[in-house]
Amino acid sequence: MTEVNITVEDVQTGKENTFVKLVTIVGQLDESNVDEKSTMIYELISKTPANLSLIFNLENLEYMNSKSIGYLTDWYGKISSANGKMVIVKAKPNVADVLQVVGLTQLIPIFNSLEEAKFAVLNDAPATPEAPAAAPQA
Amino acid sequence: MPSQEQEQTKITVILPTNAYFTAGIRDFTLNLIKNTAHFGEKWAYRFQLIVDELCNNAIEHGTKAGEDIKITFIYSHEFIEISVEDNGNGKNKTSAKEMEKLVEERKNPAYVNAGIRGRGLSKIVVNWTDELKFEDMPKGGLKVTAKKLLNTPKSEDINAPMESTNHIILK
Repeated sequence: MTEVNITVEDVQTGKENTFVKLVTIVGQLDESNVDEKSTMIYELISKTPANLSLIFNLENLEYMNSKSIGYLTDWYGKISSANGKMVIVKAKPNVADVLQVVGLTQLIPIFNSLEEAKFAVLNDAPATPEAPAAAPQA
Repeated sequence: MPSQEQEQTKITVILPTNAYFTAGIRDFTLNLIKNTAHFGEKWAYRFQLIVDELCNNAIEHGTKAGEDIKITFIYSHEFIEISVEDNGNGKNKTSAKEMEKLVEERKNPAYVNAGIRGRGLSKIVVNWTDELKFEDMPKGGLKVTAKKLLNTPKSEDINAPMESTNHIILK
């Protein structure tokens, strides 16, 4: 099995009934590991049925295949239908390239910094990179 | 003077039907394209994914566990062509005609894919190559060939390095 490591951390929101998790994926997501690893994210989503937003830190994700993109799309559907947002931070160029060719960046924007990503999920503005520059969090 | 055909390089790799081995073929593809073929880094990463998608389809649909798939790389100053051939005895065997129909349906911008699968060929391989061909083989397998041409209007960024990611601009 190809090596991949997924960790989840709570992000402090300062807002009641608003939950944000930072999901960091390190390694390669491919046919040999993605089905097994995806269960962790489904469990995360099912434990917080509403108002959960996910920030995916892909800074050290070296590779993802089309099935991984299928899972991202499915998670986006579940999160957005439960009043949450999903964004990506620091994707490598080859990962950003494939997300763009399948059209996923239209739904899940990519930010350069965690601060910008947090700003996008915690504010009412659409979670797009064209949102105003990140303001310091309270 | 050598003919165009003589200038082509052909490499064939036989791979057991185990997803574990596709990581090795991905590394091979990346290094081959970066160091040998006349494509830049950006396209080396793209071909890495194209090969992986073709192999995964061949393993999932066309070849029994424990048997082999055949991957062929042909490249020259004019093009790079990658073929993946299964042996046709897999549990989800699909004919060339069925594959053509499937890809045609799914590459339509109006097609909404709500599933986990189905983006590899129709979104990634179709968009990143100039030709995608399906052939039923005489012994029952399916051969899928993806070809990218150099020196065409679509190939203007063929030597491009991988740019660092700034914000993805929504179009």
